[in-house]
Amino acid sequence: MSILEARDLRRSFTSTSGMLRRHRKETEAVKGVTFDIERGEVFGLLGPNGAGKTTTIKMLITLLLPTSGSASILGYDVVDDAREVRRRIGYVFGGDRGLYERLSALDNLRYFAELYAVPAREQKARIGELLELVGLSGREGERVEGFSRGMRQRLHIARGLLHDPDLLFLDEPSLGIDPVGARELRQTIASLRTQGKTILLTTHYMFEADELCDRIAVIRQGELVAEGTPAQLKQRVTAGSVLEIDTFGGVQDRLERVLAVPHVRSATVDVRAQAETLVVALDSGSDVTAAVLAALDGIPLGRVVAREPTLEDAYVELVSS
Amino acid sequence: MSARFIAAMRVLFVGGIISFRGLFNWLNPYIYVPTMLVAPIFQVLLFAYIGRSAAVANDAFYLVGNAVQYASIPCLFAMANTIAGERWTQTLGIVLATPANRVALFVGRSLPVIVNGGFVALFTLAVGARVLGVTIPAGAWPGVLCAIAVASASCTGLGLLQAALALRVRSTAVLSNIVFGVLLVFCGANVALDAMPAWMASVGRVLPLTHAIQACREIVAGSAVGDVLGLLGREAAVGGVYAVLGLVALRFVEDQSRRRATLELQ
Amino acid sequence: MTGLRSAVRVLVMGWWLQLKIVAVNAFDGVLNIVYPLFFATTALLMYRQSGSPQALVYAALGAAVMGTWSAMATSASGALQSQRWQGTLELLVSSPTRMALAILPITAALATVALYSLVATLVWGRVVFGIEVPIVSPLAFGAALLVTLASLATFGFLLSVTVVRYRTGWALGNLLEYPGWLLCGFLVPMDLFPTWVQWIARALPPTWGMDAIRAAASGASPWRDIAVCGALGLGYAVLGTYLSERLLDSARRHGTLALT
Repeated sequence: MSILEARDLRRSFTSTSGMLRRHRKETEAVKGVTFDIERGEVFGLLGPNGAGKTTTIKMLITLLLPTSGSASILGYDVVDDAREVRRRIGYVFGGDRGLYERLSALDNLRYFAELYAVPAREQKARIGELLELVGLSGREGERVEGFSRGMRQRLHIARGLLHDPDLLFLDEPSLGIDPVGARELRQTIASLRTQGKTILLTTHYMFEADELCDRIAVIRQGELVAEGTPAQLKQRVTAGSVLEIDTFGGVQDRLERVLAVPHVRSATVDVRAQAETLVVALDSGSDVTAAVLAALDGIPLGRVVAREPTLEDAYVELVSS
Repeated sequence: MSARFIAAMRVLFVGGIISFRGLFNWLNPYIYVPTMLVAPIFQVLLFAYIGRSAAVANDAFYLVGNAVQYASIPCLFAMANTIAGERWTQTLGIVLATPANRVALFVGRSLPVIVNGGFVALFTLAVGARVLGVTIPAGAWPGVLCAIAVASASCTGLGLLQAALALRVRSTAVLSNIVFGVLLVFCGANVALDAMPAWMASVGRVLPLTHAIQACREIVAGSAVGDVLGLLGREAAVGGVYAVLGLVALRFVEDQSRRRATLELQ
Repeated sequence: MTGLRSAVRVLVMGWWLQLKIVAVNAFDGVLNIVYPLFFATTALLMYRQSGSPQALVYAALGAAVMGTWSAMATSASGALQSQRWQGTLELLVSSPTRMALAILPITAALATVALYSLVATLVWGRVVFGIEVPIVSPLAFGAALLVTLASLATFGFLLSVTVVRYRTGWALGNLLEYPGWLLCGFLVPMDLFPTWVQWIARALPPTWGMDAIRAAASGASPWRDIAVCGALGLGYAVLGTYLSERLLDSARRHGTLALT
C-alpha cells in the first residue's frame, strides 16, 4: 500500500475586491492532482512560484480542505480522519517563521513534544537525539531569536520529527539559506533518507532535487505535467543535447527563427549579468549548431557551448512549454 | 511664485495626503470604526458614569473633556505611524535621500492628521451628546469647531515630537499609549485643573488640549469665541512649541542616523 | 486516563512556556500595567473629590480589577493573530492536540500576568493616594481573585477563538476594553444602568468576580458570587471549545490560517 494517495485533488479560492461593490473572483490553484508516494522514498514536488505546490501540501497536511478529490495517508482520509493523519505526519516549511522566537530551542521542542503527545519519559532522550541529528547539540538553551536561518531551519526539522512521523513534509526547506547552510541541510535530509524516512520535498533548486529525490513530479499552473525519476525526467524531456550561446542584445527578436530550425525542440533566453544566454534544446544525434548560429546572424555573440541536459533544463522546458 | 516654493507646497499637500494613506493603515474600516468612532463614545460614557457615581460634575463636563481628549488618539498614533512607520516599510531612508524640503515634508504629513483628529472629536461630541442627553446649543457649534481645530493642531504638534522619539524606540504604539495616558490624567479632561494637586495642574498647563478643553467647555456653556481667544491662543502656542521641538528633533535624528546608521530596522 | 494526563501536561507546559514568552517582552508588559494605571489614577482623582473614604476604597478595588479586564480583552483578541504572524498557528492546528488545549494556556498566561496589574494598582492606590484597602477574609479574597482570573482566562479563550478569522482582531479587543470597564461594576455601580444593560453585565464573569472580591474584602460571604463566576467561566470554556473546532473547520475551508 502506498503511504500517500492523492486522487484528483482540486482547490479553488474565492477572493473579493473593492469596498462598496464587491467583486468575487474564483481562482483554481490546484486543478486535479493525482499521485502516490511509496514508503521509504523521497518524493520531490517541483514547480514555479504560484504553481500550487504549497496549496497541495496544505491539503495533504489537513490545514486546507480540498474543494474536491481526496487524499489519504496510511489509509486515513485527510478530511475525515484529520487527527489520525496529524499524528502520523510532520510538517516543516522554509523561511524563518514558525518558531517561538523568545523561547529557547529546547523549550520550542518540549512544547511541540507535548502537542504531539510524545510520552513524558521518552521526551528527553528523543529531543537529545534530534538535536544531535540536526547539529544543534549544545545550542539548545539559547533563544531562537539569536539563531541564523540555517539553524532555525534545522530546528524546524527536529520539531517535525519529534513524534517520529511516518511521512515528513518539507516545504521549500532551503528557502533563503546560504550555500553552506543549504549543504548542511541537504546532508540532514540525506541522512533521514538513509534511515528510511518517507519524505515529500518541494524545492526550487534542481540540483537539490536531483541529489535527494527518488521520484519527482513537476506541477505547473495547478496540474502535474510530468512524473518520474530524475533520470527519466531528463531523458523524457530532452533526450538530446543542449546548446548554450551567450549573446549581447537582440536575441529575443530571433527566437522565432531559432525555433524554426529543424531539430530544435525549444529555445529559452536566460538573462544574466552582462549577456543574455540562449539555451537551445536539440534532438539527439542532430548537429544543427551551424543552422542555429545562422539564425542569429547579425547580433553579437560570445561563448558557444554544447553540453548534456541537466534536470534544470528538463524543468525549465516543462514549466515554460 | 518660485519653483522651489511650488515644489514645497506640493510636498506639503499632495505628499502629505499620499503618505498618510500609505502609512496610516487604520483607515481600514475594520480598524477605523472601532478605534475612532466607537471607542471614544465608550470613553465618554465610562467617565460620565463614574462622574455620576462619584457625584462631582455634570455630564457635559465629561462629554467635552473626553471628546476633545480622544482627538489625541488619531493625532498621536497617526503622526507616529506616518513617520516612524516608515522604519517598518524600510522607506524612511529613501524619503530622506530626496531633496524635498523637510519642514514641508513633515508638516505636510501632519495636515491630514489634524483634519482626522478634529473629525473624531467632533463626531464623539455630537454622538456622545445624543447618547447622554446633553444639549449643545446650535449657536455654539462654530465656536466648538474652532476650539477643536486648534486642539487637534496643537496635539499633532506633540505628535510630531513623539514621532521623532518613536524613531528611536522599539514599539511606537507603546509610546503613543503612554503619551495618551499622560494627557488623560493631566489635561483636565475628567478632573478640573483646580481640583488637582498644584504640581499636576502646572504640568497640565504645558500640555496640549488642556486650554482647548477649557475653552470648549466655556463655549458649550454659552461663551462667545471672543471670550476664549486667550485660552485658544495659549493652546496654539503650546502646540507650536511642541511642533518646533518635533521638527528640531527630527532633524537631529536624521543627522544622527547618517552618522551612525540607526534609522532602518533590520 | 492517559488522554486526561497528557491534556493536563499540555495545559501546564503551554501555560508555563507562554508565561516565559510574555515575561521576556518587558516593554509591552510594562504597558499592560501602566496603561490601566492612567485610568485608575483618573478615577481615583475623581472619587477623591467626593470626600468619602468608602468611595475611595470602592474605587481602589475596582480600579485594580479593571486592569485585569483590559489585559485580557486587548491581548487575547490579538493572541491568535500573533501566532499567525509567527507562522506557528498552522503548526498548532496541524498537531493532533485539540485546538482548545493549545489556546487555553495562552490566555491563562495572560490572566496570570493580569495579576501583576491588579497588585500594582493596589500598591499605587496605597502609596500615591494613601488608600488602605481592608481585607477582612484573606482566604476568601484569594479564592475570589483566583476564580475571577480563571474565568477571565476562559472568557479570553472564547474571545481569541471568535476573532481568529478577523485579521484586525486587536482593534476589536481595544473596542471591548471600555464596555467591560463600564459594565463590570469596577467603578460604576450596576444600578445606574437600564435593566437590559444589567443583563449584559451579568453575563460577564468579572461582574461576579468583582462582587465576590468586594464581599471578601469587606467580610461578607463571597461564595455565591464565586460560584456563579466559576460557572460562567466554565460555560465560556465549553462554548470556546465548541467554537474553536467549528471556526477552525471554516478556516480550513477558506484557507485563512496562514498569513500568506
